[in-house]
Amino acid sequence: MVIIMGIETENSEIENSMRETARSLLKEKKVDVIIGYTNGTVPLSSAPIMITKEEEVEKLIWNNLCYVNLAKYLVPRIPQLIDPEKGDLKVGIVSKGCVGRALIHLSVENQINLENIKMIGIPCNGIINRKRIEKEVGEKEILEVFAFGNDIVVKGKDFEQEFSFEEYINELCKVCKVKSPPVLEELAEICIGECQEISSIGDNFEDLVEFESKTTEEKWDYIKDTLETCTRCYACREACPMCYCNLCFVDQNKPIWFEKTTEISEIIAFHLVRAMHLAGRCVACGACSSVCPMGIDLNLITRKLEKIVKERFNFTSGIDSKKMPPMMDFSMDDAEEFMLEED
Amino acid sequence: MKNEIGKLYIELGEEFNFYAPIKEKGNLIFKRVLNPDDIVLDYLNSKVPPKEILFPKMEVLFEYKTDGKDVTEIIERTDLDEKNIIFGIRPCDAHSFVLLEDFFAFGDYQDEIFLKKRANTIVIGIGCNTPKSTCFCTSVEGHPFMKDDMDIFLVDLSEKYLVEGVSEKGKELMKRLKWLTDAKKQDIQKAEELSKQAEESFETKLDLKDIDKKLDPNFEHPIWAEISDICIGCGTCSFLCPTCTCFDVIDENDQYNNKGRRIRIWDTCQFCLYTLHTSGHNPRDSCIERCRNRILHKFCYYPENYNTLGCVGCGRCIQLCPVNNDLRAIIEKVNNIKKEKEEKISA
Repeated sequence: MVIIMGIETENSEIENSMRETARSLLKEKKVDVIIGYTNGTVPLSSAPIMITKEEEVEKLIWNNLCYVNLAKYLVPRIPQLIDPEKGDLKVGIVSKGCVGRALIHLSVENQINLENIKMIGIPCNGIINRKRIEKEVGEKEILEVFAFGNDIVVKGKDFEQEFSFEEYINELCKVCKVKSPPVLEELAEICIGECQEISSIGDNFEDLVEFESKTTEEKWDYIKDTLETCTRCYACREACPMCYCNLCFVDQNKPIWFEKTTEISEIIAFHLVRAMHLAGRCVACGACSSVCPMGIDLNLITRKLEKIVKERFNFTSGIDSKKMPPMMDFSMDDAEEFMLEED
Repeated sequence: MKNEIGKLYIELGEEFNFYAPIKEKGNLIFKRVLNPDDIVLDYLNSKVPPKEILFPKMEVLFEYKTDGKDVTEIIERTDLDEKNIIFGIRPCDAHSFVLLEDFFAFGDYQDEIFLKKRANTIVIGIGCNTPKSTCFCTSVEGHPFMKDDMDIFLVDLSEKYLVEGVSEKGKELMKRLKWLTDAKKQDIQKAEELSKQAEESFETKLDLKDIDKKLDPNFEHPIWAEISDICIGCGTCSFLCPTCTCFDVIDENDQYNNKGRRIRIWDTCQFCLYTLHTSGHNPRDSCIERCRNRILHKFCYYPENYNTLGCVGCGRCIQLCPVNNDLRAIIEKVNNIKKEKEEKISA
């Protein structure tokens, strides 16, 4: 069926029911604090917000610019979420599908206790590819962005430009199969609001066909070309809910493990080693690309990882609260086609 | 002379390393021009500030040769005497060079590499006809048409530029450009109008009066936890800040080839290794102290050390923060501390 309802109507319906859920959670004292999104102060942005009072619920918003993965704020534990007497506070967290997946996966990795958490489930309709729009608008200041029908309208002083919503959402959102947080039987009371039943995810990874048809040299050139402008500000790492190491491998300095310059080889070393660390853990939220100040889009690297893990280990992160991710687990029947046999 | 920028490059490009705004992978940055057609003239401001030319994100300080554990030879840089022109810089970024110099020439510590490059650089700037909504140079003693920090100042009159030599260096250079024509009275008038229009168009106005005195006694105030609660701790705000100067020094030792190099790279107070003591103690252990440090450095320590604000009002940190932790809101919060106190006293 064709979508008839415009995105703005869809969003305001989601927003209203999210606020109601948030209000009742605070009212019934089921949570101490709610982490959600609020309007950004610059166009094409949104800001995470923590609220503790019922009357603040109106500050919560939902739209297609809510790109931060809020699970990030739970690991490592930040002072705002710990009470000196009570210990861990009960946290409500506005959860689109990938936030839900991140929370489930973080609990599999023993980083959070889902019992302290209420996911306020949201059926996400895709996050706008803000960096792509910024680049295409170019050297003009965007002053206003709104959804109109199935378009994103971008306005500035002397211009107005329309972008098709379907085309200008993040590449990862285009192939997303987990729009709302997954329902887990054993944790049924964790997810309130919109949730989605998922048994296994079928994905043909058609979006990778073009990349995979490239020669090794072409792939290497693509990686170099994509990462070249990286300044190593680590916004990608810091926005990633799975990057929670106390000391990241690139920050290891006793002794130094990796060089930290912006030499292309060292930029690549950082991004590819980080990618390796995310194999079977990445929840495809795309926050890394949404926050990159230089507009580097890492989606192909992410997707390729997802595919390899799916094909070799039949594993998708963040949809099962019991299954260990393949890189943390050993099984006798793990595929080992990369082992070369003699003769 | 708007269509004569190419001519300027051809005339000076051999003698000078000619830097200008260029589009690279969708981002506007200042880069050494290799083809004059690449120069972008219609732009608001660059994403990466032009500080990158004088203080690059990665810079070799010197190279060395080794024999076993001994350094046998130091190879100094030979490119520091090269002459540079930076074309198209905005007044805020031109002012950032003055602040960078404050830092790199502080007291007994003269950073020769930076200072030599700075001395060999001619800055040709252009006034800002259309400041962005996040720009606030007028709140930090700047102006969209401030020419003081440039050698040559241009005003974009849409079909041509009004050119003014500001420093001696700039005036000398202008004498060589024989094809410049005398400005007409109406051109100068138009430039003045544009300047006024630009000044009036500012949407962001920050109250920074006595900000250092407001910040200093509130080092331990609970607002710092509030300000930092959504900060994810990346380096965007400081890496892309035209006045941030922190760097880290690393040695890259190539023991197989008996050589090495000492490099400096950008560092930031937002990273976990910043001020980490060998003992393992870090006085800036969390986002709270790190966010506070950034604000205090710009708005409290800079006034104390150099008698000027450490911010030029370019608005890059506002535009680019991944979680929209808006500097304007932070300043407002700081200003409100004072008011809270006053209210308490009067009550």
